[in-house]
Amino acid sequence: MENELTRVVNAIPGFVWSAAPDGSVDFLNQRWCDYTGVSLEDARGSGWQTAIHPDGAPRFLDDWRSLLESGEAGQFEARFRRFDGTFRWFLISAVPLRDEAGDLVRWYGQNTDIDDRKRAEALLAGEKRLLEMVAGGCSLTVVLEALCELVEDAASGSYCSVVLVDPSGTRLEHGAAPSLPVSFITSIIGRPVNVESGPCAMAAYLNEQVIAADLTIETRWESYTWCPMALAHGLQACWSTPISSTAGKVLGAFALYYDEPQRPTSVHQSLIEQFTHIASIAIERAQSHARLTRSEAFLAEAQHLSSTGSFAWRAATDEIAWSEQLYRIFEFDQGVPVTLELIGRRVHPEDAPMWHEMIDRARSDGRDVEYELRLQMPDHSVKYLHVVAHGARNQDGQLEYIGAVQDVTERRLSEAALDKVRSELAHVARVASLGALTASIAHEVNQPLSGIITNASTCLRMLAADPPNVAGARQTAQRTIRDGHRASDVIVRLRALFSKKDATTEAVDLNESTREVIALTWSELQRSRVVLRTELGDNLPPVTGDRVQLQQVILNLLLNAAEAMRGVDDRPRQLVIRTERDEGDRVRLTLQDAGVGFEPHGVDRLFEAFYTTKRGGMGIGLSVSRSIIESHHGRLWAVPNDGPGATFSFSIPCGAPDVMGAHNVRAIATPAVTEVEHVMRDE
Amino acid sequence: MDPDSLVSVVDDDESVRESLPDLLRELGFAAQAFSSAEEFLASDYVGQTRCLILDIVMPGMSGPDLQLELTCRRQPIPIVFITAHGDEAVRSRVLERGAVECLFKPFSETALLDAVQTALRVS
Repeated sequence: MENELTRVVNAIPGFVWSAAPDGSVDFLNQRWCDYTGVSLEDARGSGWQTAIHPDGAPRFLDDWRSLLESGEAGQFEARFRRFDGTFRWFLISAVPLRDEAGDLVRWYGQNTDIDDRKRAEALLAGEKRLLEMVAGGCSLTVVLEALCELVEDAASGSYCSVVLVDPSGTRLEHGAAPSLPVSFITSIIGRPVNVESGPCAMAAYLNEQVIAADLTIETRWESYTWCPMALAHGLQACWSTPISSTAGKVLGAFALYYDEPQRPTSVHQSLIEQFTHIASIAIERAQSHARLTRSEAFLAEAQHLSSTGSFAWRAATDEIAWSEQLYRIFEFDQGVPVTLELIGRRVHPEDAPMWHEMIDRARSDGRDVEYELRLQMPDHSVKYLHVVAHGARNQDGQLEYIGAVQDVTERRLSEAALDKVRSELAHVARVASLGALTASIAHEVNQPLSGIITNASTCLRMLAADPPNVAGARQTAQRTIRDGHRASDVIVRLRALFSKKDATTEAVDLNESTREVIALTWSELQRSRVVLRTELGDNLPPVTGDRVQLQQVILNLLLNAAEAMRGVDDRPRQLVIRTERDEGDRVRLTLQDAGVGFEPHGVDRLFEAFYTTKRGGMGIGLSVSRSIIESHHGRLWAVPNDGPGATFSFSIPCGAPDVMGAHNVRAIATPAVTEVEHVMRDE
Repeated sequence: MDPDSLVSVVDDDESVRESLPDLLRELGFAAQAFSSAEEFLASDYVGQTRCLILDIVMPGMSGPDLQLELTCRRQPIPIVFITAHGDEAVRSRVLERGAVECLFKPFSETALLDAVQTALRVS
């Protein structure tokens, strides 16, 4: 019977034991002795405790003592050393046996091997922790290192690494390898992704697992001497598995190394499968996070560049989400909670009623809105905003507006400036061109007309004489024809200057253009008693631009100079027009007058609208002239002379590829010029 | 042709200098042309000139300048001004200063003849 019982006890899968009430063990079954390699003799009393894992021993002894003191049945876990030195987890269940008086007589117990369950639990816990790290936004390196450590715990004796494939898909990048020597890692990083450079590169390249069970006899990757390098680091086995994205793209390789030849078991394979999957989640997540960060940065930059901010407004609760750029536009401190009340404080008082109406209407009808709004900033400057918002119901059926706000202040201001230029130009055309130029034109036409009439009268008289003076008549008739052409030339020049409609970019000979303008204004200059000296440079390269616009500038400068010298009687009214090559492949035109000049600090005011130092003068053309020259990539400036008068110059590049903004200037200039033309035709 | 009735033309415009003396000769006057006031003053014809046909706007000395200069020199030659600028203000100013006439270019033969004859009568 005793033998029978012993056979049963030893046949039970697990350890069976009994102990005295004080915990000293008096029986252990044969399985326990076989497992630990400790004899029953040595294990009796508290000798068995030597088999407990040293890390868990203090905790175990606490649990053991509490159990003995409680006298109640209990369970706890502990690791026991196997005869070969490895440890396994056991569940220890103890039950007290009491006599009829209720006194504790003996402890009976059973230890069950729960190691597989414990390992699975640990892996599961580790996996959960890794996924939490991924979700929590830990850096990829931190996640992958934790992953390697977890795998190394699970597969004892292994060294784990993760390499990544770079964005171009051609080279290996470092992922994580907490237990491998740095020199080993650095010799792998940067290797090309192909079948030759090593097992990880090969696995990534082929997108299939590469097992090198014994590196001492391995013949692959010779051209990159990979095996000698690994062996030099004490590694003799390597199993590399590709890490693939859900879309099937290879992201990297997961590798286990051993310091002795080894082939993966099915346990290893399931471990590898599980963790390459987690690695792929971590890598994909990191990559998409990087993409998101980049696209957020793009968006922020785009908002900044376009002066556009975005917002979301929940109509029911007035919750407002406000983009960084909007904080800048509204000049709110970043991060301050934005409320309608806060926004309202910035709205321009004149626009406030409209704004409140917009809000009320949006709240009630939920329609899309688009409107212009002015802000009055704390420094009393005004900003112009263009607001567009789209109303929609969210999942809870609440009305929510998502909108964009663009700061259009600069556009508004430049439109205003444009209007100013437009009116200025109209003024120039009327006052300067018509006033001064028509007199000049009349003179230019009257002069040949006078010749024609005089010659025709002479001719008639010569023919009527007795005998007729035919030779003289022929000569005067020829002069009549010549004067007729002369009058016609004036008209041709005028038409060239005024009848053009579209801006053109052509090669302009600045000397010839200047001569034409001088020809048209010649009599006006004479009448103003201007002594004109022209110093037109030889071999001047042509400039690229709009001839008519440039001539308008020269005309303005010329008439201004004549005007500035109107009251000068104590010195010659000398005007020098000079053209010359300027630095940097440019051509410069200079007009130096001996007029009333201007105060040095008044230079900037000269170019302001309607500023003039002269009574009834034509200073109005200067700002327009400047805008024309600037549209030719040039510069127009004025300096007071050392002596009396002022010098106006402009300098424009030769062969500028395109006259930027010429269309704008033309758009402004056309109506004014057309107006001149009409008026001239009418007269 | 009466050499005593010399009509001098001062104008910087070449076509006037070419055409006007011819017409004046056809009308029976002796005529001389000068391209500037300075050239006229420097010539030997100042004393002989009985009528001066004078452009108003010229480089250098203008027509009215010459008028003033002749008054100062006590050589009051009757002057017929001609101008291509239809400027009434200038016209009345030179007439105030004693000019016989001020013709706006282009002018007719009749207007010219009337003015020159008036000038010669004054002279």
